Amino acid sequence: MIERKNRTWNELLISFEKGLSIAIEKVKDRDVENIPGAKNALIQRLENIKQYFPQNDGALFIKAINEKIQNAFFPSTKNFARAFESILKSRTHEQDFIINELLNGFVTSKVKAIATGSQAPIIDRMVEAFSKRNDFHIVDYQFYAMFGDPNKPRHYIKKQLDELVNMFGLVSRELIINKDVRRSEEKTYTFYTFPDEIIKILQEKYLILDDKLGYAYVSESFDRNVFICMFLANIAVNFDDLDKIGGAYTVNGISAIFALILLLSFMPKLNLDETNPILNEPAFDQGSMSVIPKSWMMKQVLEPLFEPLIKIIAYRLGGGLWLSKIIDSEINKKIHNQIRFLLKDVNKWILGELVRVEIPIFVEIANIFTEIAVGYDEN
Amino acid sequence: MSYKRRSTRSTKTGRKREKWTDIFPRYLTFISHMRPILRETRRLISDLDPDLLLDTEVLDKIREEEEKRNIRKVRALSEFSAMYRSNVYEIIKDFIIKYRENIPIIDIKDYIIEFLYESISALNILRHITNPDEINLENTYLYSLTKFLEERLFPRGTNLKIIYEKLLEFSVDFYECQRHILQPHTYYREKLEVEDLFEIPGLSPKVYQIINNITSLFNLDPNFGLLPENANYEVPMILKNDVFLPYIDSIANAEEEAIEKICERIGLRVIDDLFIAPNENFLEILLDNNFIRSNKQSDGKIRYLPQFSNETLILYYLAFSSQRRGFLSKELLNWISLNFSFLIYMGILKWKLSDENIFYSIFKDLQTNEKVLPYLMKLICFPNYLGLDKMKIRDSVQYRKEIFNFIGSQIDNLKDLIVEVALYCEKFEKERKYN
Repeated sequence: MIERKNRTWNELLISFEKGLSIAIEKVKDRDVENIPGAKNALIQRLENIKQYFPQNDGALFIKAINEKIQNAFFPSTKNFARAFESILKSRTHEQDFIINELLNGFVTSKVKAIATGSQAPIIDRMVEAFSKRNDFHIVDYQFYAMFGDPNKPRHYIKKQLDELVNMFGLVSRELIINKDVRRSEEKTYTFYTFPDEIIKILQEKYLILDDKLGYAYVSESFDRNVFICMFLANIAVNFDDLDKIGGAYTVNGISAIFALILLLSFMPKLNLDETNPILNEPAFDQGSMSVIPKSWMMKQVLEPLFEPLIKIIAYRLGGGLWLSKIIDSEINKKIHNQIRFLLKDVNKWILGELVRVEIPIFVEIANIFTEIAVGYDEN
Repeated sequence: MSYKRRSTRSTKTGRKREKWTDIFPRYLTFISHMRPILRETRRLISDLDPDLLLDTEVLDKIREEEEKRNIRKVRALSEFSAMYRSNVYEIIKDFIIKYRENIPIIDIKDYIIEFLYESISALNILRHITNPDEINLENTYLYSLTKFLEERLFPRGTNLKIIYEKLLEFSVDFYECQRHILQPHTYYREKLEVEDLFEIPGLSPKVYQIINNITSLFNLDPNFGLLPENANYEVPMILKNDVFLPYIDSIANAEEEAIEKICERIGLRVIDDLFIAPNENFLEILLDNNFIRSNKQSDGKIRYLPQFSNETLILYYLAFSSQRRGFLSKELLNWISLNFSFLIYMGILKWKLSDENIFYSIFKDLQTNEKVLPYLMKLICFPNYLGLDKMKIRDSVQYRKEIFNFIGSQIDNLKDLIVEVALYCEKFEKERKYN
């Protein structure tokens, strides 16, 4: 068993190495960079990765993924509340920014598959729905109004509602009215809320329970990241039960998103000439942003680099089960291609250059790389 | 001989073109019912012995008495007044119950009176936001606030370049708001292209994503081809197919079919049904704003190298919509006017109400919003203000609910703009007094 594990892991490392070699060749072939030295910096970085990553049985990957991604986003526990609490505690404002950007894109497209016709930010609407009431519940009719297509009959969305609720790990309670006002018929309302143990955790900061009045208000801090934490906690706890986390779609999506985060962290900061017009751009903040090479975003470079990386992430997060769900199909390649365009506000284009917002996750992963690279050099 | 009565109606049935003098009184109707309720409540609380406030039944009795005095003949108005009054009293009761053990009741009373005072002054501004005859227009809140926002989000100008540059000037602080007003929540009703008429729809999430793809592809690895109008220049071009490559299962079919129209709205054009390139007019704007730089080739030709920012194409869409504001789709027009009226309304509240004011929730309530904002939306559409076709403002209650549901889901940048509006209100009032 252990041998097979090692064999799989080694194969993944080898395929990443191969991918890197192809990517380096492709970068060498073409120059799309405007900043002098950018192409060389990227080639140098890719060469370094190729040199250091496979060493010591991929220790660098294991450290980066286990410590910085798994601990913060997919804690190793079977207790949903504990997982949620751990993810919630590891959040920082800057971190929220990128995770939100990336996952919101993913969750929205996932929900789109559930709630047809809905392309808008689903999580924002959920936050809004919970904020509007003073009992910390939302009722099924709110759901229909939010996610249903008004041009289609309501039953269209009813069946898919459960999937949406499962995705966020919400719980439902039913209220049966013997005679409704309009038709004097029995009517069942379904209310959705967070599980009790999650409500206890939220009480600290995100939820204000007013025992005297019997109200439950959300505080200013209650935001879309609470839902994202629920979504991630659900994946962490049920990583070995694909039905509960949305199947191969989720596995592919999540692995691709974190592969992108890893890749972005590896990108070298470029030194800008003091006459570079970017420095005069009001949108560019030198303290929190850095210009990185853009060649890696070219389809020819990204494809060989991205695919093995997605598999590595899948294997480290979900073992052989997740790895088996990463499909080498043309469709998947297209989806991966699409993921590079998820970068909008977090990694912006400023005057034709790709700018990375230096948030903790990038800095931490980049630091691991630097530390280990320096360590190897000294040895 | 038949004595059947003939209809005296000579015009076709349908909606009448509403005049300023029709809409303004309707806007005032509900506001002028809210203010007396708050004033009366303030007077009653003020006259009440603080200790009596501890017993919430006293408040219930006062409310019951007040409700008896209701003499409104119009059902909608009396229902609204009852709802409004009951909300006010409920909030006061909740406030007392919540704090009576921690704060002396005399202070609670003072707080309530203060909050009521603030709310009344906010309603006072809303009531006098403009005047029935539009006299001294430039001195009215409605005009100056609309112009303040228009300058930042939807400016006017004699040509596209001027509008684009105005937008760019404010994009540093308010780019997300500028983008927001282009993205109606009811995008699913939009058509990407209408065969028989020129119409500009809003930006759907998918079109927005496609525009991002286009920006990235231009910055990454464009091809270059001769500028059709001048063979001495080479312009960047990207393959149309590359833009749609990531989309599977025909999910972007409609967008692909309407790509020419989409390109037109972002300053681009489709060449030979294969390539996407900037149009000639846009090139000038791009050059002036450093979004393209020129490079002389060894063959003597000048090559334009793209260096787009996130906002480059989106702001063109907004400038294009602003210049052709008479042709906005119903959804986009409703969304823009809704956002303007919402920003004005919230700006005034932010200015007059303290953050801890307990009556904020009533002002932000959907039931209050739908009584005030639809008329404000129409007033804003008049020629002196945004100059939009107010006939396109939908009156359906269902539709209002549909779009009003989402105005609360504010982006952070929108909150910043509301604060700016509030600051401007203060400045404007000082100037008015000074004049």
